[in-house]
Amino acid sequence: MASMACFVIMSKNDIPIYEAEVGSAPKREDQAYQHQFILHAALDVVQDLAWATNTMFLKSVDRFDDLVVSVYVTAGHTRFMLLHDSRSEDGIKSFFQEVHELYIKIFLNPLYLPGSRITSSHFDTKVRALARKYL
Amino acid sequence: MEPGVSIESGSAIRVAVLPVGGPIPPACLRDYAALVARHARVDLASLRPYYSEHQKSPFAHQPWDTGCLRLKFVLGGCMPSPWEDFQSARKVLAVVGICHLPSSPDLDRVAADFVDAARSYPSALANRCFAFCPTDAQLVEKKRDDIIMFPPSDQQSWELHMLTMIQDLSASLLMEFEKWVLRAESTGTILKTPLDSQSSLGSEEVIKAKKRRLGRAQKIIGDYCLLAGSPADANAHYATAIELARLTGDVFWHAGALEGSVCALVVDRMGESDPVLEDEVKFRYYTIIQLYRRATLQDNAQRVSPVSFELEAALKLARYLCRRQCAKEVSDLLMGAADGAKALIDASDRLILYIEIARLFGTLGYKRKAAFFSRQVAQLYLQQDNAYAAMSARQVLTTTTTAYHVQSRKTSKMDHGLLKSVVSLFESQWSTLQMVVLREILMSSIRAADPLSSWSAAARLLRSFYPLITPAGQSGLASSLANSADRLPSGTRCADPCLPFIRLHSFPLHPSQREIVKRSPHKKEWWTGGGPSGPFIYTPFTKGGTSGTSKQEVNWIVGEPVQVMVELANPCSFDLVVESIYLSVHSGNFDAFPVSVNLPPNTSKLVLLSGIPTQVGQVSIPGCIVHCFGVITEHLFKEVDFLLLGAAQGLVLSDPFRCCGSSKFKSVNFPSISVVPPLPLLVANVVGGDGSILLYEGEIRDVLITLTNAGTVPVEEANVALSGKNQDSVISIAHSTWKSALPIKPGGEVTFAVTLRAWHLSPTDLEADGSRSPANSRRIAREGSNPFLDIHYAGPSRNSESDNISLPPGRRLVVPLNICVVQGMRLVRARLLSMELPARFTDAHLRSASSKDNTSNDSDAMHNDISLLKIDPYKGSWDLRLLELELFNPTDVVFDVDVSVHLDGTSVELPEDKTASSACHKTRIDRDYSARVLIPLEHFKLPVLDTSFFVKENGSDEPLGSRAATLAEKNAKAELNASIKNLISKIKVKWHSGRNSSGELNIKDAIQAALQASIMDILLPDPLTFSFRHAKDGIAAKTDSSKEPGDDSSHSASESVLRCKDPISANEMTHMEVQIRNNTKETIQMNLSISCKDVAGENCFDENSATVLWAGVLSDIYLEVQPLQEVVHPFSIYFLVPGDYSLQAASVIIDATDVLRARAKAESPDEPILCRGSPFHIHVVGTA
Repeated sequence: MASMACFVIMSKNDIPIYEAEVGSAPKREDQAYQHQFILHAALDVVQDLAWATNTMFLKSVDRFDDLVVSVYVTAGHTRFMLLHDSRSEDGIKSFFQEVHELYIKIFLNPLYLPGSRITSSHFDTKVRALARKYL
Repeated sequence: MEPGVSIESGSAIRVAVLPVGGPIPPACLRDYAALVARHARVDLASLRPYYSEHQKSPFAHQPWDTGCLRLKFVLGGCMPSPWEDFQSARKVLAVVGICHLPSSPDLDRVAADFVDAARSYPSALANRCFAFCPTDAQLVEKKRDDIIMFPPSDQQSWELHMLTMIQDLSASLLMEFEKWVLRAESTGTILKTPLDSQSSLGSEEVIKAKKRRLGRAQKIIGDYCLLAGSPADANAHYATAIELARLTGDVFWHAGALEGSVCALVVDRMGESDPVLEDEVKFRYYTIIQLYRRATLQDNAQRVSPVSFELEAALKLARYLCRRQCAKEVSDLLMGAADGAKALIDASDRLILYIEIARLFGTLGYKRKAAFFSRQVAQLYLQQDNAYAAMSARQVLTTTTTAYHVQSRKTSKMDHGLLKSVVSLFESQWSTLQMVVLREILMSSIRAADPLSSWSAAARLLRSFYPLITPAGQSGLASSLANSADRLPSGTRCADPCLPFIRLHSFPLHPSQREIVKRSPHKKEWWTGGGPSGPFIYTPFTKGGTSGTSKQEVNWIVGEPVQVMVELANPCSFDLVVESIYLSVHSGNFDAFPVSVNLPPNTSKLVLLSGIPTQVGQVSIPGCIVHCFGVITEHLFKEVDFLLLGAAQGLVLSDPFRCCGSSKFKSVNFPSISVVPPLPLLVANVVGGDGSILLYEGEIRDVLITLTNAGTVPVEEANVALSGKNQDSVISIAHSTWKSALPIKPGGEVTFAVTLRAWHLSPTDLEADGSRSPANSRRIAREGSNPFLDIHYAGPSRNSESDNISLPPGRRLVVPLNICVVQGMRLVRARLLSMELPARFTDAHLRSASSKDNTSNDSDAMHNDISLLKIDPYKGSWDLRLLELELFNPTDVVFDVDVSVHLDGTSVELPEDKTASSACHKTRIDRDYSARVLIPLEHFKLPVLDTSFFVKENGSDEPLGSRAATLAEKNAKAELNASIKNLISKIKVKWHSGRNSSGELNIKDAIQAALQASIMDILLPDPLTFSFRHAKDGIAAKTDSSKEPGDDSSHSASESVLRCKDPISANEMTHMEVQIRNNTKETIQMNLSISCKDVAGENCFDENSATVLWAGVLSDIYLEVQPLQEVVHPFSIYFLVPGDYSLQAASVIIDATDVLRARAKAESPDEPILCRGSPFHIHVVGTA
């Protein structure tokens, strides 16, 4: 498992709809901000890259200070962004695919307004479990 | 590292620009520096006049026609770099002094200063000192060589002068370069970099260094060729240098020479975008980067690392490639450079690196990347502990605000008309980042002592992210706002609004008193038909689409105050003091009045903001100006509307109004407001206070209403009408009074009276009152139950120059007559009492009946005696009918009740009336007491059972049997109701209370109810009327009986009974006759029988009785009475014993009709119908 990772789901309007700090390293408030800043900055690269390829998993698109940003773009242009320091691309890919399934389940919920925050605690638990499994 | 490096920067001559002499005002310094710096490029061709070739120029291929020298002016100079020898472009090759002569009068001193300053740049090949604005005294001084004067002149000639000077400087530099190159070629120079100096010089190293020196010299010569504007020469030298460096393994210099050659290549082909060239540059630069990396790895152990050259090379290439098409490559390069930041030892190098990366990303269009690195820069600045660094940090952070969507309104250049779409407004709302950025801006501005910017940052932070900030944090922000405001001059404006949130709540279009009604010149009565007609709020025929699509129109009037209701919300956990708030009007024709508001934590408040329009025209109110936390800000309604819209869609964190407990969001359309010229303005005033008029039920009172013209235009026409509920409570309006007062001049007033009568409270009202507290239970005016006075009025019509008359609009004033009806005298119950007194042949009666001539007189007398006793002409008995009203006084005042009966609706008061009123003289009812008032009723029987309706029934409906009867009854009831109503309208119960309260009791319903109960018995006459007469002979009886039955007047009542001339005495034959009158319209057949009873009730006509003897038939007399006719049956009695007897006639009707059955309330059709007359008392005198 990666020592630290930050997972964020961005709606197509560039609004974060889910955030999770996953990783075994003890959390530090200022670092959490820094992680989000890195992810935010990576959006520029993703924006270009997403239209240049037809795969959903964009692999690592950006990096800063040993931290790598891997991105997975869904068909609806929702982006799963993972900031991590491990290099196991396969694990990350599996993680993204499983999260995508979870996300689709959320999306199918008639009470969920697309583009709004994902507040389901079940989703959160599942994502964290997946992170432990794959990262 | 150096900022702003590019591939071409190797060809720029560095010139230090130093201020010398006395202090220079910043504005002047900026001007002078700009004057110098504009000559960054000097064409070689223009140098010809200043250039003189002393020796043969080493720059053989110098392009004199097309080439140029590039100058890079560094204001304030720079530290000499240890890498100067490696790249000649890093050397300061010339020094320019700038002097502001008015502040430094001594020219010698200036010259000395300049020499001192230039001394710190030993590499400088040329020095110039420019002195601006010399005084006259300085001008006339001996001309000096070391100071070049710029006499005061216009900008253009200064520029020309400066151009000349710079060209001169460039020419001398060029000549110096030639000298330098010639000397270097001939003698050779020792060239060292910090890398070399550290290496221990063993013998092997020395030999190596000697070999390398040649290559290095070639590289430097190449550099100078580049500086001299001759890329072709430079290229040749670089080629040699590259070969030599490769041979000697001088990796670092190899890279340097290669870099120079790329620079020469690019400069040579300046302005061309050639893919081949680009590939070449790319290829060479990747080599350069590789070489630098190798050099770095080689010299890793050394104290000085050349890693910055590698990074610079990457940045140079990135800058060269920086286009959208190469975005991937550039960002890879930049990310690689960013990775190298850790290897940089110097913090300022890292700062420069991040700045360059941010700039390049910005150029590339990667705003978020640029913002990220800018933030890194700001953090590096914040690590330095001084105000200037903090200021820089703030400025850098400010540039990131656009990317994080937290920009100040000042920089975002928001124009009110062109707002972005709603969706884009909420794009990229990454609140965590936004808060961090704003907090950093706040921190840096506080450290940089920039109160306005810290205020603005704190305001943005608080306004946008209050739901995410803890109460303690909110208070902290509030105090930092206050602290910043303390340092600001009072009246400072800030573009960013803080708290509270303000939304337009409602737009009191016009208080109902001020309504404007459009007048059309064709309509005389312009006030009618304007509003919605009919009972429906919506009619499908009104103009469609006016309310939905277009905005509503509002007219304001010059000089009349108007109000706008706004809602303020303070969602934070501290007390918010809004020092003043007023409408912000951009059109300039409106005076707004400030209000100060105090908002407790988590509350919202409705505030009425008012102002006065001052000029005719359009008014636009985009928002409010708020003076809060010591700074004046403008709050736009539209922003809050968008915020609320976003909150409704779940895009924004929280709705500030809902979390303050306010109602749900509803969008208020801002109407288009136009200001119209002044109109008259009537103000109504109810004399005696504006409170509600307290009236007891049924009270009648005059209310005076004063109309005052508060406008500046006279009222020329007016119309007063009634509207609303309970309109019938207004009895009269003194129209003539106000009409005579027209026109009402400005300031004039008129008072007119309106007569009111309080309505009757309904049972529900009473119940509602009962449920309230007893103290003020009866004092609450009911909303919506009041009548209104609708006063339409208008000023004079203006005659415009053309013929058509432009009518200014009229207005409507609504004066609510706030009538508060309280419960007054209450009618508890009304009962109809009937008393039947048997008719008596008393002395008085006999006397009065003795002579027919003075019957009327006597009857009058009798009435005076026994005023209320009446003989029922149909029953032949005394009948007293009384209406008993039980009144209760639940109020706390005393009531005097006065009952009067108006008969026959005539104005002449009948004598009965007088007696009645005297009898019921002023009943006084104390509080909480009840009293009964008796009202005598007279003439209160239908004349015949067979009035018109009965005739009809009998004629047509008889065959239909029982149904006819019910119908008949129905009709009878209708008729009765009519007569009851007639009667009721005659009875008036008036009351007085105190000095000025008086009114009438509404008893109609009660009486009606009372009468209805006993209607049949009391009102309908019996079908047969029996009466006994004392007949002397049969002839008299006959004439009497032949009398017309129709003219039954009040007098016949007394006549019909009082027949006996003489008193009846015992032991004497008394001739009597029984008169039977048919009150129906049909012939009645019957069996009549007459009975006589003594006081003991014994039947005297019994065979066994010996008290009375009789002659004639007394039982089972078959008689047939024609309709409305009378039949007389004579008989004689002989009383043996004096005393009191009573005679009674009864008859069984044969073949009774349905009407009769109905009247007798017969239950079965074969039941015999019995009619009985009233008993007659006979007093028999005489001795036993």
